[in-house]
Amino acid sequence: MTDAPVMYPRKPQRIKGRSIAIIVFLSMAALFFCIPLYVLVVTSFKEMEQIREGAIFSLPARWTWEAWSYAWFDACSGLTCEGLRQGFWNSVAILGPSLVASIALSMVTGYALALWKMKWAGTFLFVLFLCAFVPFQIIMYPLIRLTVSLGIYGSMTAIVFVHTALALPVLTLIFRNFYKDIPEDIIKAAVMDSGSFWRIFIEIILPMSGNILIVVLIMQITSIWNDYLIGVTFGGLGTKPMTVHLANMVTVSTGTVSYNVNMAAALLTAIPPLVIYFVLGKFFVQGIAAGAIKG
Amino acid sequence: MGLRWSRITPQLAMLPAVAIMVTAFLGSIGWTIFMSFTRSRRLPEYVIDWDRPFRQYERLFGDAGWNISLNNLVVLAFGSALAIFVGFILAALIERERRGEDFFRTVFLYPLAVSLIVTGVAWRWIFNPQYGIQHLLQSMGFENASFNWLNDPSTAMYAIIIASVWQSSGFYMALMLAGLKGINTEIWSAARIDGVGLFRVYIEIIIPMMKFTFLTCAILLSLGVIKAFDIILAMTNGGPGQSTWVPAYFTINAMSQKGNLGYASAAATMMLLITLAVFLPLVALTAWQQRVAKRGAN
Repeated sequence: MTDAPVMYPRKPQRIKGRSIAIIVFLSMAALFFCIPLYVLVVTSFKEMEQIREGAIFSLPARWTWEAWSYAWFDACSGLTCEGLRQGFWNSVAILGPSLVASIALSMVTGYALALWKMKWAGTFLFVLFLCAFVPFQIIMYPLIRLTVSLGIYGSMTAIVFVHTALALPVLTLIFRNFYKDIPEDIIKAAVMDSGSFWRIFIEIILPMSGNILIVVLIMQITSIWNDYLIGVTFGGLGTKPMTVHLANMVTVSTGTVSYNVNMAAALLTAIPPLVIYFVLGKFFVQGIAAGAIKG
Repeated sequence: MGLRWSRITPQLAMLPAVAIMVTAFLGSIGWTIFMSFTRSRRLPEYVIDWDRPFRQYERLFGDAGWNISLNNLVVLAFGSALAIFVGFILAALIERERRGEDFFRTVFLYPLAVSLIVTGVAWRWIFNPQYGIQHLLQSMGFENASFNWLNDPSTAMYAIIIASVWQSSGFYMALMLAGLKGINTEIWSAARIDGVGLFRVYIEIIIPMMKFTFLTCAILLSLGVIKAFDIILAMTNGGPGQSTWVPAYFTINAMSQKGNLGYASAAATMMLLITLAVFLPLVALTAWQQRVAKRGAN
């Protein structure tokens, strides 16, 4: 998707003035893009006394992990003062089942829509396409009532359920677009062989899905981990994800604000998706192209 | 293509997805639209208010908070459009000068991997009047430098725009880069032979060729702007006063703070209508694009 379709060999050139200008300009833009991350990092390692001097870009006079450990173990979020770790483990507990449920469901649905003839498949695809753009607010209250009547409102199950439901339209369209390009002959041969819906899925479709699976996986990890609205709406006491804890921590300010703790807390929340991004960036870009309709 | 050997299993496999689409999406949307015509307050009332079915909408359009929200939506849309511009410039430069492509792409795109709550924390810190940029500039001798944008109703929206441009430029860069790479490189040699300047090639040839990419970006941007909520919450929480309210924030506020279900449903329905107004051109665009592609193939 991102590779150039035609690559003409370029003549080896000396670096010209224009190239230097472009690289200098891009480097300056890159520096600007790094400013927010830089101030987060340096502030989180400073002591409050130095922060009060007001030099936002200066390096810490003494590097200290104190703010980090305070943010992780002791910082107050709402009524409890147990640090961000509770939120972290909540987010982990939400992430696992949400990933499995949303990907498994949309994968099977996408496979059925792409390769098995059903009369209403066209209508259903159109509905999926429409619903991929629906703002969350219009289905928020009915979903609250739905989860209340299922008896799961306020639990992690509710958050997992809503993540699975909301991801369904986009993910199904992505999988369906991927599977519909599978050569017909392969499937025909497979049907001759066994013809079973699930056997074809497990023996042929699953092994072919490695590439799209990792793209979708990264897309979903970042979007579930970074979600705030679903977590705050459907989570109850003790089940809210890390982003909600972070937001409570930085907005509810009683007494003096410990900016270094806030910055450490923000970084702790940002580290998991950032690590995935820097390790698997190539797939992240593909995910953007595939999920572009997600907006 | 399609397989006909087994009809029951695939339909059974689709059942959970169909159930979710029918209840969580279609049914829920219908329910909310229905609620917007009732007098429901904290709890739903299942009776349409036939005397004045549009009472919630009448109230909505008279509400100063809603009008501010709509206004801010437009401001945010035009302000964030800067991200498409920045994205194109970055993509064009990266594509021209292939050296360091991976590095620059990684740097410009990383904000997208981070939660908007984190983005809000970082930018609020930069705009902090006591210890942030403002203090730095003043201590450097610019006594009148004012970067206290977040606490001023007339500038708070611009601070949010800066943060969201920072966050989303990389996204548009990635889309533009994909579009630019699809352009035949012979155009460049042809232009060079004709002696056309680089800038003019972009303005007169490349940008018109990428009109679909630009349109897609514009539509994605509009859809993103309508959904904007996290960034507002993290940067200003709607304040100062109501100055940074947007429809998404207004709707949730009407539901959770005011506890007014009918009113919130009317606002949510308006959000859906705005989304449709942006979305229908997307459908038309896709159809048009396919026709152009088909004509090109013949």
